[in-house]
Amino acid sequence: MINLAYKDISHSFSKFIVTAISVGVLLGIVIIMIGVYRGMVFDAKSLVDDIKADIWVVQQDTLGPFAQNSKVHEDLKEQISYQNGIKSASAITFETIQMQNCYGDFKVMIVGYDPLSNIDVINMDKLIAGRTINKQHYEIVVSKKTHYKLGESIKLGRDYFKVVGITKESVSNGGDYLMFVSLKDAQMLQFTYTNERVKSDESRGIKGGNPHLVNAIIAEIKDGYNPKRVATNIEEATHKKVFTKDEQKRLLLEKVIKKSSKQIGMFTVILIIVSIVIIALIIYTMTLEKIKEISILKLIGISNWTISKMIVEETVLLGFLAFISGNIFARLVQGAFPKRIVLELSDAFILFIIILIASIFASLFGIYKVIKTNPSEAIGG
Amino acid sequence: MDKNAIKVENLVKSFGEADSEVVVIDGANFSLSKGEFVALIAPSGSGKTTLLMMLGCALEPTSGKIVIGDRIVYDNKWKIKDDRALRRKKIGFIFQSHYLIPFLNIEENISLLPYQNGEKPKVVKQRVKEILDYLDMGDKLYNMPSELSGGQNQRIAIARALANKPDIILADEPTAALDQKRAVSVVKMLKKITREQDVTIIMVTHDERLLPYCDKVLTIKDKKILVEENSDEHII
Repeated sequence: MINLAYKDISHSFSKFIVTAISVGVLLGIVIIMIGVYRGMVFDAKSLVDDIKADIWVVQQDTLGPFAQNSKVHEDLKEQISYQNGIKSASAITFETIQMQNCYGDFKVMIVGYDPLSNIDVINMDKLIAGRTINKQHYEIVVSKKTHYKLGESIKLGRDYFKVVGITKESVSNGGDYLMFVSLKDAQMLQFTYTNERVKSDESRGIKGGNPHLVNAIIAEIKDGYNPKRVATNIEEATHKKVFTKDEQKRLLLEKVIKKSSKQIGMFTVILIIVSIVIIALIIYTMTLEKIKEISILKLIGISNWTISKMIVEETVLLGFLAFISGNIFARLVQGAFPKRIVLELSDAFILFIIILIASIFASLFGIYKVIKTNPSEAIGG
Repeated sequence: MDKNAIKVENLVKSFGEADSEVVVIDGANFSLSKGEFVALIAPSGSGKTTLLMMLGCALEPTSGKIVIGDRIVYDNKWKIKDDRALRRKKIGFIFQSHYLIPFLNIEENISLLPYQNGEKPKVVKQRVKEILDYLDMGDKLYNMPSELSGGQNQRIAIARALANKPDIILADEPTAALDQKRAVSVVKMLKKITREQDVTIIMVTHDERLLPYCDKVLTIKDKKILVEENSDEHII
C-alpha cells in the first residue's frame, strides 16, 4: 500500500520543513517563556540553597533578610552558637549595588561572609576558577557573567578588591549576579559612610555608624536535631525571628517573587493558548489546502480511514519536527538571555503532547469539513 | 450488448425544500448495456454533473431507483452500506481536468485504487504496466503528473479509471481541457475501451462533433432525460 503522508511530504518537502520549523520556533518561544518562569523560581531559591545553613536568625518582627530589611548585631552569632542543637553559626550581609565595567552596567548582590566560618556560603560546585576568600580583606569572588578575570582589581566603595575566584550561575533571589567579599569588607561597604556623610551626621549630633551590624545570622544544626524546634527555642531565648531553610525559601516564593512569577506564569499560559490556536489554525489550513486532492480521493473510492490516516500522520510528524526544532531553538537562544532560563525536558514534552492533541483535533476537524464537502465541487460540477 | 450495466427508474433530484425547492432531474428513465459508449449532453447548469454524481453513488437522489449491474443501489433510499467500496470496485471516474494526485507518480496514481481494494502488489504492478502499454504510455511509469502534458495526463486519468476493472466509467467532460485533435484521440480511446474491455462509459460533453463516436446520446431537456440511439451507419 502506498503511504500517502510520506508521498505528500516528499513532494513538498521544503514547504513541510519550513512549516515545521516555523511552528517549532513558536513552540520554542513558549518553551523559553516556561523557562523564564522556572528560572525565576529557581533563582529565588538558589542563594538559600547554596548557603549551607539550616536556620536563619533575623531582626525581630521582620521577614528578613530577603523579603524584608533586617539588621542584627554581629555578636549575636556567639549567643546563637551556644544554643542547644547548634553546630556552628556565622554572620552574613547582603547588599545590592549597581556596577559598571567595559561590558556595561549591571546590578550585583554583594554577599559578605566570614571566611573562617565552618558554614559554606559559596557553593563549591559553582566555583569554576580560583578559590574562595581566605583573607579578611580585599579579596572578592565574582560571577562569570560580570566578565571580571582572576587577578583583576575591582574598586568597591573606597577600596580595591582582587578577584580570587569565579563562580557560574550564582545569582541572588532577583537573578542579579553575586559577588562574595569578607564580612568585614561587606560591613565597611554597607555601614561605613563617607567622610562628608560622617561630618554631616556629626553636625546633627549623630555619633558615627555601627559597622558591626549584619543582616542575618546563619547556623548549622547538629545531626538529629529538628530545625523547627531549634528555631523556636532560639526565638524564645533571643527575641529574634528565626526561619528554617524551608521557611526562608517559602518566604522568597510567597513574598518576594510571588507577583512577578504569577505575572510571568499568566503570560506563559496566555502564550500557550495563543500558540495552540495558531498551530491548530496552521494544521487546519494545511488540511483544507488538500481539499481538491481529498475530494478526488473520496470520489474515486478511497476510504475515509486512508484519508484521515494521511492527514493525522502528517500532523504527528509536523508536531514531532516542531518539537525537535523548538527545543533546539530554545537551547540556542537560552544563553542570550540576561537571567536564568531553566529548560526542562518534561515541560517541553507536556507542551508537545498538548500541542499534538490540539493539532490532531484541528486536523480531524479539517478532515471532517473536507469529507462533508460535496465531491462535485472538486470536479467543478 | 445485452447485459445490463446501469438502469435508472423515475430518478428525481431536487435541492432545497418547500418554496425554495429546485428540481434538477425530474423522473429520469433509461437503461444502458455493458460495453456501450454513451454521451450525456445538456446546457450548462442543467444537471449533467448532478446526474453523473448520482449514478456514481456520490450524491443521494431525492427519489427513484438506480440499479448497477444486477444490484439495486438506490430505491428511494440507499441500498448499499459503503458507497466508496462500490465506487472503487465497480465505477471509474474521469474528470474535466485530469485531477491526478500531484504528489504521486503515474504508477502510484493508477495503483492507488487496486491497492485500496486489497490486491497484491505483484498483480497491481503487472496490471498498471498493461494498462499503460494499452494507452501507449508505458514509458511514463515513474513520471510525476507535473512532468506530463495535459493530453498525457488525461490518458493517465483514463488509466486510473480502468485500474480497478470497473463496469462503468463516468467521464465528466474529459475532453474539455483538450484541443480538437487531442479530444478526438481521447474519445477514440474511450470507445476502444468500451469495445475491448466491455466497460460502459457515460461521457458528459458539450462538443457535438464527438457525438458520432457514441452508441447512445442522453440529453437532459426540461429536467427529463431523452435517450437517442445512434444508428449503426452514423457511428464512427
